[in-house]
Amino acid sequence: MECAYNVGTMAEVLGTFEQAVLLEVLRLRDEAYGRAILKAVQERLERELAAGAVHATLERLEGKGLLSSRLGPGTDIRAGRARRFYRLQPAGVRALNDARRTFNNIWRGVKCPVTALL
Amino acid sequence: MNTPHSDARPPRWAEAILRVLLKPHDRETVSGDLLEEYRDTIVPARGRAADLWYIRQVAWYLLRASWMWGTLMGAALVFRYLLDTLVPTADYRMRASVLSWTILCVCMLAGFVTAWRTRSMRAGVLASTTSATIAAILSIVGAATMLAMWHDPATLEEWRRSGGLDETFIDVPLQLIALGLMMGIPGAALGKGLTSRVTLSG
Repeated sequence: MECAYNVGTMAEVLGTFEQAVLLEVLRLRDEAYGRAILKAVQERLERELAAGAVHATLERLEGKGLLSSRLGPGTDIRAGRARRFYRLQPAGVRALNDARRTFNNIWRGVKCPVTALL
Repeated sequence: MNTPHSDARPPRWAEAILRVLLKPHDRETVSGDLLEEYRDTIVPARGRAADLWYIRQVAWYLLRASWMWGTLMGAALVFRYLLDTLVPTADYRMRASVLSWTILCVCMLAGFVTAWRTRSMRAGVLASTTSATIAAILSIVGAATMLAMWHDPATLEEWRRSGGLDETFIDVPLQLIALGLMMGIPGAALGKGLTSRVTLSG
């Protein structure tokens, strides 16, 4: 079956971390800026992350056309420095749907949690 | 509303390095994100150890800009040591010359690419010097591992003929770091200059 986003290679194109970042952008909606996304992904994955890893992923996803960004005003706590707000693009929505479909297909017919020992 | 930690400041030098390493497009936003996280979450939770967190974040950006070049140079050095150990030759000048040119080119390239990406000469020189430092560490570890594996008198004699242990463990690493600094300058100047030309003509 041909994927809408990228012909047949969805799982290779969108990694788990990229999916986590895209999903947090989706959940945060109008509040999706760098630091908020970092905190949300950390909470979701239950581990501390390098801020740079999230920023690099956001930059990569924007480069692929899955996200767009705009600058917003800064606040006192960040010394007035601007915030970059991210928004999911139609290609990003398709990518997430394709990734989910691929995930479901892979797991179809297997009970979770897997108990069989090889 | 300001919190008690809203005026806490990470080490100035670390903040300066971070801003230099970021692309102009990200300079304000990414440094702002880190400052906000530092003040709002890290300082209240960790107190004075918050500075270490900030330095680790900056180190991530520095390593991102340098690890590939450093690994490339380190691998070239370790390959040379391996070649000298397993395939000794009467004349080491050719090998030394190839290795020196490789390192010079990689240092310049590290400076060029980083300065091009960040539009900052300082970032280019910093990346080149850090790459050379990574290579120096890798070469020391590689040489020590090889010596642990092959330390019979004949091999040690070959090491002595190709420069000796002092050269391997002291001279080469120090010269590498100095080279990284020196070659990073023209590389970074070229990268910065070319970016400026492209921006102007664009």
